[in-house]
Amino acid sequence: MKTEVSRRSFLQLVGGVGASFMLGGFATLACADESASAQDPFAPNVFLKIDPDGVCTVSITRSDMGQGVRTTLAMLVAEELDADWSMVKVTQAPGDRATYGGMGTGGSSSVRGTNQQLRRVGASARAMLVAAAAKQWGVEPSACRTEAGKVLGPSGQSLGYGALTTAAKAIPIPTDVKLKERSEYKIIGKPQNRLDNLDVVTGKAVYGADVRREGMLYAVCLRPSVFGSKSETIDDAKARAVPGVVDVFAISSGVAVVASNTWAALKGREALEVKWTEGPKHSTASLREALKAAAKDHNAMPGGAKRVTANYELPYLAHATMETLNAVADVRDDRVEVWTGSQSPDSAQNNVARATGLTADKVEIHNLLLGGGFGRKFSNEWIGEAVEISKRMKKPVQLLWSRECDIQHDLYRPMSEHVLSATLDAEGKPLGFSHQYLQAPGRGSGDYGTNTYLPYEVPSAGLRSAGVPSSVPTGAWRSVEHSQIIVANECFIDELAHAAGKDPFEFRKSILKNERLLKVLISAAEKGQWGKTLPKGSGQGIACFEGYGSRIAHVVEVTVKDDTIKVDRMVAVVDAGTTINPRGVEAQIQGGFMDGIATALYAEINIDGGAVEESNWSDYGWTRMSDTPKMEIFIEDSGGAFGGMGEVGYPSVPAAIANAVFAATGKQVRKFPIRLSELV
Amino acid sequence: MATYKIKVNGITKTVEAEAEMPLLWALRDLMGLTGTKYGCGIGSCGSCTVMLNGESVRSCQTAISDVGDKDVLTIEGLGARELHPLQKAWVEHDVPQCGFCQAGQIMAAAAFLKETPNPTDAQIDEAMNAILCRCGTYPRIREAIKAAAKEMK
Ligand code: FES
Ligand code: FES
Repeated sequence: MKTEVSRRSFLQLVGGVGASFMLGGFATLACADESASAQDPFAPNVFLKIDPDGVCTVSITRSDMGQGVRTTLAMLVAEELDADWSMVKVTQAPGDRATYGGMGTGGSSSVRGTNQQLRRVGASARAMLVAAAAKQWGVEPSACRTEAGKVLGPSGQSLGYGALTTAAKAIPIPTDVKLKERSEYKIIGKPQNRLDNLDVVTGKAVYGADVRREGMLYAVCLRPSVFGSKSETIDDAKARAVPGVVDVFAISSGVAVVASNTWAALKGREALEVKWTEGPKHSTASLREALKAAAKDHNAMPGGAKRVTANYELPYLAHATMETLNAVADVRDDRVEVWTGSQSPDSAQNNVARATGLTADKVEIHNLLLGGGFGRKFSNEWIGEAVEISKRMKKPVQLLWSRECDIQHDLYRPMSEHVLSATLDAEGKPLGFSHQYLQAPGRGSGDYGTNTYLPYEVPSAGLRSAGVPSSVPTGAWRSVEHSQIIVANECFIDELAHAAGKDPFEFRKSILKNERLLKVLISAAEKGQWGKTLPKGSGQGIACFEGYGSRIAHVVEVTVKDDTIKVDRMVAVVDAGTTINPRGVEAQIQGGFMDGIATALYAEINIDGGAVEESNWSDYGWTRMSDTPKMEIFIEDSGGAFGGMGEVGYPSVPAAIANAVFAATGKQVRKFPIRLSELV
Repeated sequence: MATYKIKVNGITKTVEAEAEMPLLWALRDLMGLTGTKYGCGIGSCGSCTVMLNGESVRSCQTAISDVGDKDVLTIEGLGARELHPLQKAWVEHDVPQCGFCQAGQIMAAAAFLKETPNPTDAQIDEAMNAILCRCGTYPRIREAIKAAAKEMK
């Protein structure tokens, strides 16, 4: 406990420090205040602990919502540590910014943001273990090497890391450690299965929803269907009569029903009679009109032989994580404990501290596995609700969002309208490219002079974003703005190719200035047998994307038959710079592709009278097993920095599918999800 | 409120519940068996799939009073003694992403393979369409089912 306090105050002193500073600081403290015994574990910092039995436990500060980050981050430490991979375990760090620094998980930043720090953690610990062994053998550390959890001496000596934990604690922290060259990697780049698999398939894995505490009550919440309205009168007589219901009361976001089990809480909620205040009566139809009205002027563009314009419509999307939002809160007078799955557990700690008037160190946030995230689990508002309810009940309470709450009270990917126009010269080369990106509601407006979202060579290109007011709450959804901008861009590039009388792949190739992206594009065309003859009613589509430090190109094949679109095949070539876990990359590309199919063909959120029309999986369409095409994924790294992987697999997919639909039908997709009756 | 004696994973448990309480909530809230997951509550996602006398059912659509003396098998019981070939295949093929749907997937697949030991792709699609995976693990589920089917021969 003493160490804990010292660590905190150390961090407070240095403020928002880089990780390498933290490492040195922690380690010095750890050495200073512990008297070694034969059984001591070696924990040079908060990120790594090596036990006398040789087990290496890595503390994971990012949230695992299916992207496999617990495995990936552990691989980074294990690589530089030269650990025996079978002896590596992970533990999830609690939400605690003072100890761990920022912990937000999103924007495919986990690996990119922590790899330097984590590799140093591994390399420093390794150096200390080597020094400890060398001292014991009376040899130079440089004469020793390490392999799979052992230090090996010059004359055949060998000591497992577990046998060196106590000795390693006495070694001063190395001030500079050399990280491995890519050619020296033994763990990075090798396919590894997820460390959590066995727990998941036996039902032992603990998600937020699975937390059970002594004396815990179960709560659900009735929310106003119209965004922006509040409860005016509550008639809870019938709800209270439901066996098992313990209490009913208004909370900031609606009316909470607390019961002895979830079912009773749900039944109680059903029996509630609540009159809500009026709210704004937006509808997707009226918002679409407003977006179209706002989309008037194009960015200035040079004239050309040909001018091409197109509008694309994208809907609101729900995240619909498989595990709905939930938290267990146990609010006491002098401390609060929360169990949940959050993409920002460190912010949660601060939020709860503020809400309860306690200091952050009195708030413990246990972050568990997340049954999906996709950007939904950043906002932590469900934790606030659980805290509100537990505070009132003076008991641990689990708040669970029903699926209906989830679909109808998401922070949606905004609906958007994209007005694209371009001019082409007589040879069909683009001279100007303009993209107006309008959202409801707007998420900040601005002009982007050099178009960061367009990897193509166009002398004059611009993206202008704007918005119209809307009461619909919005947030980040897998790949954030790329989920809109890239979809529209990559559809429009195909339209330009057609206007120029060129093949969409050849057209892209001729104007792509980004060499690494060009490489994956060419490779995808090859692997996907671009241009092959397909039966009537089938077509190929291509699209590409660079972002989050990675590059990808997709070639898809679709068949349009009897009013349905079926995606038959997907080829993806991905360049993640340096891939850490090929199995994880493959999974993310598969997942991004299934999201692409779902949003190209089925998913949309509609608003009417200020409320969401969809309410569950029955009307918020998603993919099923039979939607799954043949998938071929090729990793072709160009080397260098580790790229992000959670988002990159999505944005080019809906566009590739739309482009394939054009190839199959001769008609353009201008609206998502794609309906054959709406092709133009 | 009534008392029910329910045989779950070979052990008889006594619970006090309303007759209409879905087995899902009885398992999760009254018996502490949280491996079975809530995903929709309306029979549309399959996350809550368990076996009743060897047949897959949606526990959110099965009232506790309808269980009677049937054997309930949940993910916790499936591989209690030795991992089921499907569980092994799931680990080997690295199926789970977030993992939240996977108990339902495995229980549905286990019931399916009992009936259909040599499944074709079309049969797998048809049987597994009932279980939604938001993360898109379908390609690996397909592989893992085929591998387990081979293993079970
Ligand atoms: S929770 Fe039972 S089918 Fe979705
Ligand atoms: S693995 Fe996440 S829902 Fe299936």
